[in-house]
Order: sequence, then structure tokens, then C-alpha cells
Amino acid sequence: MANALDDVKNTFLSLDSQYNMLLAGCKTQEQRDALTAQYSAAQQHYQSALNAVLNDDDAQVAALSTQLKALNTQVVQATSQVGDISKVIDNITAAVSLGAKLITMAAPGPV
Amino acid sequence: MPERQALNSSIRPTRCVKAIAVALICGLALIAGCKTQDDAASAATQMSATAKSLSDYYAALGVILSNTDKIYAINARLYSKPYSDESRKQLKTTQDELARRVQLAADLSTLAGNFAKLTGSEAPADVAASCNKLETEVDGLASRTASTGEQNMIKSALQLLVTAIQERKERDAARAMDSLASGLSNLFDKEAPAWNSVDEVYSGLAANLANSLVDQNAVDNTALLKAALEPFGLTPAPASVEVNAKLAPVAKQQIADRQAALEASYTNATDAMSKSLKEMSERIHLVAEDKPMAFRAPPVTVSTVEQWATQVLSW
Repeated sequence: MANALDDVKNTFLSLDSQYNMLLAGCKTQEQRDALTAQYSAAQQHYQSALNAVLNDDDAQVAALSTQLKALNTQVVQATSQVGDISKVIDNITAAVSLGAKLITMAAPGPV
Repeated sequence: MPERQALNSSIRPTRCVKAIAVALICGLALIAGCKTQDDAASAATQMSATAKSLSDYYAALGVILSNTDKIYAINARLYSKPYSDESRKQLKTTQDELARRVQLAADLSTLAGNFAKLTGSEAPADVAASCNKLETEVDGLASRTASTGEQNMIKSALQLLVTAIQERKERDAARAMDSLASGLSNLFDKEAPAWNSVDEVYSGLAANLANSLVDQNAVDNTALLKAALEPFGLTPAPASVEVNAKLAPVAKQQIADRQAALEASYTNATDAMSKSLKEMSERIHLVAEDKPMAFRAPPVTVSTVEQWATQVLSW
């Protein structure tokens, strides 16, 4: 069974562990702003997912979760691609956006 | 333990908490009416100990969540990692959910511990009053959406219990009590992945921050020399930048090792809590089925939970 909460959590923790290095690799203010925005979004997605009951049994959620796992792998490898910071930020943006889709499919939160 | 005090001060008992707590007392009182007083009293004592562990478990998670909030704030200050108002609001929501569970488990522990007093001559009046209260409180569960299936199971058990008590069907009431205990155990297991993630995110964020501080030479790595110096009553001199840098890889290895140990310790505690609740549920099932209770001491796994919770609550 796909564990959507785990996927969103992994995206956030991967980004957190590489944030300082990636920020140092940004060449423009626009890139820095994009990275910061994605970090903020990833953090919010995790905190929201925690407060929701994700329906892991839903086939569409499972499919999205599989895609997110693949993107998370790319985020984990981001440090080695820091020379191409635009590509790294694109990958991070894709992963965080997919996390947002997972959350919108979640069941209502506990409160 | 200021964190725990803060957590407890934010506790606001819910209808759900009250309903379950009162229902447990009603159920145990009725079980006592159809089973030996010793077994019922023993079940109450065991439930009290198990519920206290559950309350401590949730309180420890509250400390972990509070520390996560602090790390977010430190990261924002030191590394410009954003910590938005929305994230703060979501984290506060999680803290409130945890506080409700701390209160639920604490209520169960206290009330189950007082069970013996409720089996006296005043018990029937208490049960009648509790039934009236339960009727209005059971619906409060519907507003809670976490772990819906398990909460519905608890709600159904409560409704059956209210009906059984009103109709003086002691056997049905005992079975409802049995179902209620099972529902609580299932609720814990269903929510475990969410709470696991709380622990993993905390240990992950803490390790990332610790590694960043080591990288910046903002940590005194000579603490690592304690193993060599302490037996001789010696303490390290303030480290030079060069010595600190040479010790950095050892410091990072220690961070990785202890992160793994923290997560393993949490996993053990969660497994032990789950086993304790299941064992408690099975024992109540025996009493409800009018079968002798083989064990009268609290589940042994409770001590594993207590050790972990005591460690975390001392942070």
C-alpha cells in the first residue's frame, strides 16, 4: 500500500538536508526565491498531511505516490547535480507540486 | 518539564474523552456485577497502568513536537529556512490533537484506578447518571474524523453500551466494553504511522541541524574526548579550530548513530504500546466472556514504553 504521508515527509526531509548547499549553489535571486518557496511548500504539505487521513487505498493516490517516490529519488540526488541548479529546482518543484496533489486527495483532517 | 506543563495546560477535554472514560467505568462496573470482584478490580488496575503509559507516550510525543517547533524557528534564524504561519498553525493543530489524546488516556487511567470506589452501593446511581450523560455525548464522536473506521467502531461500542446499561443487559454491556477496548487498540495502531512520522521528522531535522552546526565549527567537538579523559579525571582544553575540524567526522558519525538509536527506541516503544493495548483488550475480553483472568499484573511491555517516555520527557 502506498504511504502518501511517508512520501510527502521524505520530500521535505530530503530538501531540508540539502537546503544549505542548494541555496549556496543558486546563482540568482530568482533561484533563491524559488528554492525558499519550495521549501516552505514542502514543509506545509508535510504538516498538512500529518493532520489529514490520507486515503492510501485510492488507486489515483497510489499512482501519484509512485510518481512522487521517483521524484524524491531525484531530490535526494540533487546535491550531485548542483551545477545545474535550474534543473534541481525544477525537480524539487515537481516533487513538491505532486505532494500538494496528494494532500488535496486526502480525507478530511482530524479537526 | 515545562513542555509537558505547556502541553497539559492546553488540554481541553472533549466529549469523546468524557464519553469513553465514563463508558469504561460503566462497563467495568457491570462486568463486576457478573464476574468476580477480583477479576474486575484487576482488569481496572491493569487498564489504569496501561492507560497511564499511553498518556505518557502521547505526552512524550508532545515534547518531540514542541522540539520540532523550536528547530523550525532555529533553522529560520540561522539558515533562512522559512517557517510560515500556515506551518505553525498546522503544527499547533497536531499539538492540540496530541493534547486530547494525553487527556483521554489520563482520564482512563484515573477513572479506572478509582474503579473500586464505584463498585459500592452508589454505583447503580452513578451508572444511571452516566448513561444519561453518555446518550448526549456519544454523538460528539461524529465530529472527529481521524481514523474514521476505528472511531466509528468506538462509537458503535459506546451506543451498544448505553443501550445495554439502560436495559440492564449486563452481558451485552460487558461485550460492548470488550469492543470498546478493542477499538482503542485499533485506533492506536491506525494512527501509528502519523505519529511515527512526527518522530522521524524530528530526528531528521535535529540531525540535519546538528550536522550543519558541526560544518560551521559551531559545536565543541572535544566532548568526544570524554571517553579517553574522564577515567583519569581530566577534561579537554578548549579546542582549537584545527582540532575541532579533525574531530568533525567523528561528531557526524555520532550524530548518525544516535539518530538511528533514537528512531529505534521510538519504534520499540510504539511496538510495546501496541502490544500492551492488545494484551489489555484480550484480558478484558476474557473477563467479558466470564472466563478466568490468567494474569493480574499489568502487561510487561508497559515498562518499555515508560522507559522511553521518561527519557523523552526529561529533555
